Amino acid sequence: MSAAETPPQAVVLELRGIVKRFGATRALDGASLRVRRGSVHGLVGENGAGKSTLIKVLAGIHRPDAGSLLVDGRAHAHFDPRQVERLGIRFIHQERLLPAGFTVDEALFFGQERRLGPWLDRRAQRREAERLLEHWFGLRLPAGALVGELSSAEQQVLQIVRALIVKPRVLVFDEPSVALVRSEVERLLCIVRRLRDEGLAIVYISHYLQEIEALCDRVTVLRNGRDVAEVDPRATSPERIARLMVNREVGELYPKSAPAPGAPLLEVRGLGRGRAYRDIDLRVRRGEVVGLTGLVGSGAKELLKSLFGLAPPDTGEVRLDGRPLALRTPRQAVAEGIALLPEERRRQGVALDLSVQENVTLAALPRFSRFGLLSRRAERRETLGLIERLRIKSAGPQATVRQLSGGNQQKVALAKWFARRSSLYLLDEPSVGIDIGAKAEIYRLIGELAREGAGVLILSSDLPELLGLCERIHVMHRGRIAARFEAGEADSDKLLAVATGAVAQQETSVHESIPG
Amino acid sequence: MNPSPVEAARPRLGTLLLRRGALLAFAAILLVFALGAPNFLAPGNLANVLAQSAILGILAFGLTTVIVGGGSNVLSGGLDLSVAANLGLSAAVYATLDNAGYGAFAGIGLTLATGLAVGLLNGLVVVGFRLPPLLATLASMNLVAGLELVLTENTVLPSASPLLEWLAFGVWLGVPALAWVLLGVAALLILLIDCTPFGLRLYAVGEYPEAAHAAGIAVRRHVFASYLISGLCGSLAAFCSAAWFSGSTTGSGEMLLSVVAIAFLGTIFSRRLRPSIGGTLLATLLVGFMINGFQLLNISSFWVNGLQGVLILLVVALSGLSRKEP
Amino acid sequence: MSDSYLDPRPARLSWPSRRAALRLALPALFVAILAFFALAAPGFLSLGNLSSLLLNNFVLLAMVAIGMTCAIAAGGIDLSVGTALDFSALAFVALLNAGSGLPLALGGALLAGTLVGAGNAGLIAGLRISPFLASLGSLFIGTSAQQLLSDGGQPNYLAPEARPDLAGARFFGVPLPLLAVAALAAVYGLALARGRFGRQVLALGNQPLVARYSGLAERRIAAWVFVAGAFACALAGILLAATVNAYVPMSGNAFLMNAIGAVFIGATLNRHGRANIPGTLLGVLFLNVTANGLLLIGWSFYWQQVATGALILLVLVFSFVGRRPGD
Repeated sequence: MSAAETPPQAVVLELRGIVKRFGATRALDGASLRVRRGSVHGLVGENGAGKSTLIKVLAGIHRPDAGSLLVDGRAHAHFDPRQVERLGIRFIHQERLLPAGFTVDEALFFGQERRLGPWLDRRAQRREAERLLEHWFGLRLPAGALVGELSSAEQQVLQIVRALIVKPRVLVFDEPSVALVRSEVERLLCIVRRLRDEGLAIVYISHYLQEIEALCDRVTVLRNGRDVAEVDPRATSPERIARLMVNREVGELYPKSAPAPGAPLLEVRGLGRGRAYRDIDLRVRRGEVVGLTGLVGSGAKELLKSLFGLAPPDTGEVRLDGRPLALRTPRQAVAEGIALLPEERRRQGVALDLSVQENVTLAALPRFSRFGLLSRRAERRETLGLIERLRIKSAGPQATVRQLSGGNQQKVALAKWFARRSSLYLLDEPSVGIDIGAKAEIYRLIGELAREGAGVLILSSDLPELLGLCERIHVMHRGRIAARFEAGEADSDKLLAVATGAVAQQETSVHESIPG
Repeated sequence: MNPSPVEAARPRLGTLLLRRGALLAFAAILLVFALGAPNFLAPGNLANVLAQSAILGILAFGLTTVIVGGGSNVLSGGLDLSVAANLGLSAAVYATLDNAGYGAFAGIGLTLATGLAVGLLNGLVVVGFRLPPLLATLASMNLVAGLELVLTENTVLPSASPLLEWLAFGVWLGVPALAWVLLGVAALLILLIDCTPFGLRLYAVGEYPEAAHAAGIAVRRHVFASYLISGLCGSLAAFCSAAWFSGSTTGSGEMLLSVVAIAFLGTIFSRRLRPSIGGTLLATLLVGFMINGFQLLNISSFWVNGLQGVLILLVVALSGLSRKEP
Repeated sequence: MSDSYLDPRPARLSWPSRRAALRLALPALFVAILAFFALAAPGFLSLGNLSSLLLNNFVLLAMVAIGMTCAIAAGGIDLSVGTALDFSALAFVALLNAGSGLPLALGGALLAGTLVGAGNAGLIAGLRISPFLASLGSLFIGTSAQQLLSDGGQPNYLAPEARPDLAGARFFGVPLPLLAVAALAAVYGLALARGRFGRQVLALGNQPLVARYSGLAERRIAAWVFVAGAFACALAGILLAATVNAYVPMSGNAFLMNAIGAVFIGATLNRHGRANIPGTLLGVLFLNVTANGLLLIGWSFYWQQVATGALILLVLVFSFVGRRPGD
């Protein structure tokens, strides 16, 4: 580690006025960042604020259109991935970038193998893998265990150890805690502090402001591709940081909720599926927007999937409009008027190489066909109507969906269910990865749906979103609904406390009965 | 329509059964033949099976290398359908050169160069132009087969160089030369793919290209190399084929499907159910023993194709069923 | 969707977007080749040559390629088109030789060929085997069965008195085979381009997960695709047997590569790069004309193979090179 040469608290890495354009949009519009050695530097911002673009510039994936990158005061116009590695900058990705079929030592050392002459020194790798895991994490993994057999947290640990093998000077953590449970997060924070104390410069990106507060020495807030502030998180309240991120009162984003919910639409009683979730009671009435949240592994995602026929439950019952349902396939769910807006929009939500029109009518083809032949005129009419109603910005019904922005793709995915005249909408992280303008419009549409008598169940990890939209929020923890909150009685902290298990199960204490 | 890529290979009962089952089935087949045909287990016969398997085996090693580097998803992953045609062309080139009076070194060198050139073409089209390997190598297969026809005019070119004599009739320690070639090539490739950083990186590239890229591995270069190795295997197999048939033969392209079948069968013989040279060697021998056993038991060899087809489907169906739905 | 730091190149086969210029380049190439042969080979434009080209070369490949178009449109591939063709030819010849009437022979042949597709459908939709491996398995089993039934590949000739004159029959002056191709192309073309089924196939072929998440019966669609494809090949099998008055075992495989090539040439011609029936027919014509012209200007059969192989490779490269790396 050449860190010894640099004085303590010296700026190791600096990004100055980085601009990056994609077509007409400016993903980065003069963003700057200064990271000192022996410190943890937080980076926060909304989705679409430019965090990931900035990191990609840093990783040498994107070339900036303007600005410079300085390492130890030496300026570079751009990086390439190899150079980044030589400079001692390493990344711990949110995605687990490890081949599932690799053993622990292979996963740690591929690309940076220990050699014995021309050969792979498997024995040295195994030994070192054991030593490193023990040293940093006190972790013992069975020899020969495959990555695919490990838990999310263990895989995350492997990623961190991978980065430590080459003795880096700058470590970039991108949302490292997303897949971790509470105790593991604590552990992660300890490790990051330890790394900082050894003189590393650390960039820490997280949505969780509590983590930022607990960990970071400085925090840079990104908004609209620009760094709007650099503050000391210990001297600044999370609310203020959040305001800096959004720069507006959160309330105005959200539509006024429907005043009078109608008849029960979806009733779930005692639903359970293996180890994923159990004892789930849930009710969505017509005209109601209900929230669902929980960390990864809480079972919320599986629950939503079950309601769409993707992962059949093994106990309990689901009723729609009072009729019992046994959903085994998405096809049945769609036939019953259930719609799912999946989180993986580009993989599951829209067909990228099909036109807007072909996407919009996909779930309702019988409506547009006679004797097995499609009426393009009817399709076009419907699509034009929905383009206008949802304000989809596109070159028209024949435009390829791939060409649209993320927000407009999401609207197309939603329009598909509008065309189907669905009555129950399951929305999985509906605003992930879309810009703030489109977000507001999606929220408006959710409000519209409710007013027109549809039921909406939103699964989201964006807590302000849930608080702004929902009449009632269910928080899941370890496969159970740990708490229900009425609109107005909850805030982000309460929700998070339950979701992370910091507050013991308080279901009974909050609300005994399901309203309605 | 295709099963989506496996996201996590958790060991399940099915997987374990499949792995053990494969070896058990292998042993059972050997046992049936050994009981039915007394001389099946005679050392001479076993050595003979090894020698007979050399051609298919070496081609399958080439294909396996490509699958390791490209991933085993058939449509988008690694695939080299030109291996068998490559053998045909290389053998024709060797026979032509030999008959035209070129020296041993020139003949061998140019034959190897032919195989490499085919690999180069495939690598260029797959890596350079990003064609799906299935289509790219299907097209290059036709091109190469056409070139072979031009060279041979669809006839057999007899050839009898000292090299071929030695390959065909040489015996060392009671084992025929072709058997040694098969084992030798297998050993070399096992060293390369299982024991070097290159091999580990090739697996990473095949299994999770994004992760390999993030680890600073030159993904495209590795994929390219796998096609070169496959091309080289094509010409190595050509020597074996020329020795076995005393010259170039027509219709070498018909071996392709057997080669594909063997390479996919090979995955069930590997500990982690992934393509590997060792697994492919076992699969080659399984098919070799089956053909040999049928001969000894006087069963029509026409059954072999069908059995291979059933085996492929069985393997894929089992490994597919032991996999979780997306 | 979470952003990755990586080259977001998708690992799966997706229809590329390509430049509009390319769509014009290919027809231009086709016209140039036509013009070249017309000038270089005097007999090329003669009625006799053109009609023999259509009847002898175009019809059979077109039928198989239409079958292949279905599989490729649905995001798969069918390596056992030849097997379906062979089984149909086998059943046709065997039934006629056994003295059954023409209608029964036709029905039996169509059934036999379509059964191969049904087998594939079961493997793909039922056992979720990828189309490539499923149809590869079918091909192997089909080969074995044919070898066993024909003593290793001996042709089975139609008895002279049992020969139906299908290949030479005409309706209103139009040869029956051409009519059959036209009808097949019309039905399949309409279903794929305008039908509800075609739209479902399109969605399945582009993004199977989206099809699933939109409530389409993705397995049933896949199954029908392979059955329909095999039906087209079965028709080709009847025509082949009626033309050569025999069942020649394993003769269907000769069409495989050209059929795939034709479908991809056709896809390249399409604005969205989608497999489509009119494009496929043009692709078949393109391949036929090239081979025929090369023959007329005196190239050997062997060089024709090389030229066709190179041409297909070139078309494929063209069609994929327009793809943006960022897609």
